[in-house]
Amino acid sequence: MAKNYWLEILAVVAILGFCAVFLYTSSTMKDAVFAGSDNVGSNQIAELTGKPVESFTPLVPQWEPPSGEIEACLFAFQAAVGGIIVGGVFGYWLGQKKSLTEAKSN
Amino acid sequence: MHIMEGFLPWQWCIIWWLVALPCLAYGVWRLKKVMEADREALPLLGVTGGFIFILSSLKLPSVTGSCSHPTGTGLSAICFGPWITSVICAIVLLFQALFLAHGGLSVLGANIVSMGIVGPLVGYTIYRLLKDTSVNIYLTIFLATALADLFTYVVTSFELALAYPAQVGGFASSFVMFMAIFALTQVPLAIVEGIVLALVFKYIVALKPDILIRMKIFSENQINAARGEA
Repeated sequence: MAKNYWLEILAVVAILGFCAVFLYTSSTMKDAVFAGSDNVGSNQIAELTGKPVESFTPLVPQWEPPSGEIEACLFAFQAAVGGIIVGGVFGYWLGQKKSLTEAKSN
Repeated sequence: MHIMEGFLPWQWCIIWWLVALPCLAYGVWRLKKVMEADREALPLLGVTGGFIFILSSLKLPSVTGSCSHPTGTGLSAICFGPWITSVICAIVLLFQALFLAHGGLSVLGANIVSMGIVGPLVGYTIYRLLKDTSVNIYLTIFLATALADLFTYVVTSFELALAYPAQVGGFASSFVMFMAIFALTQVPLAIVEGIVLALVFKYIVALKPDILIRMKIFSENQINAARGEA
């Protein structure tokens, strides 16, 4: 029984381990702000070129979410679209499999 | 892994767009052919593409004290190859560039090359190398997806280091610096992503083994063996 679920167990352990590492780093690294690595990379570019971050302006005009709330909303929307598709297909396959086994047993 | 809008000189933007466009065009052509050949491939494309949507929206904290997101491209690369994957990535990246200010239209080419082309290409190569060996298929999936994720960030570092070589040490020292920011942050994320996608693949194997066999993603014997053991 347990042998058949080793991948599930491994996934749970990995995710819990990931959370544990986060709790550890966030409590020991007092200066960690957990900004996006995109931004950290941009700061590095500013440092390398000696130009302030503000001097890098978009080459193509760009709309920016006015607040973190709206950004979170749009990211959640993106994840939801993916989740709906994945759930829908798994349900479709499950139904397909079920009707196939029923047809075989009849 | 996004290079932010305005942070790549226009010459490099054009170069990466020129690399990305033929790959995308080939991907669209391949996609059309796959869909014509087998309509049952569409749900599989939905699942593998759906995970790119989900995973690339999750920004997770890492050991370096900054946040980054997994890419989710590995499964799609294994099932459909890197070119079709680049088309799905382009859609996700376009959405993020237009509505989230993550990346942008001028740097979209560079971002497609890292997340949509080279990352999946690395994953696909690993899968092809291990496919017909005795390596457990879930281990194959783990390695292919984790390294597709990690290499996306290596390529981002490479693109930035090319555009911004350090005054002392040039390209190499710049590359190391960007690797420390992007790739190092990504290591734990890539490991978790690899395990989670291997688990997802287990469910695909359980529910729809015939499509995997028909598309020759793994042989019948391998799929049957995998169904027995996990």
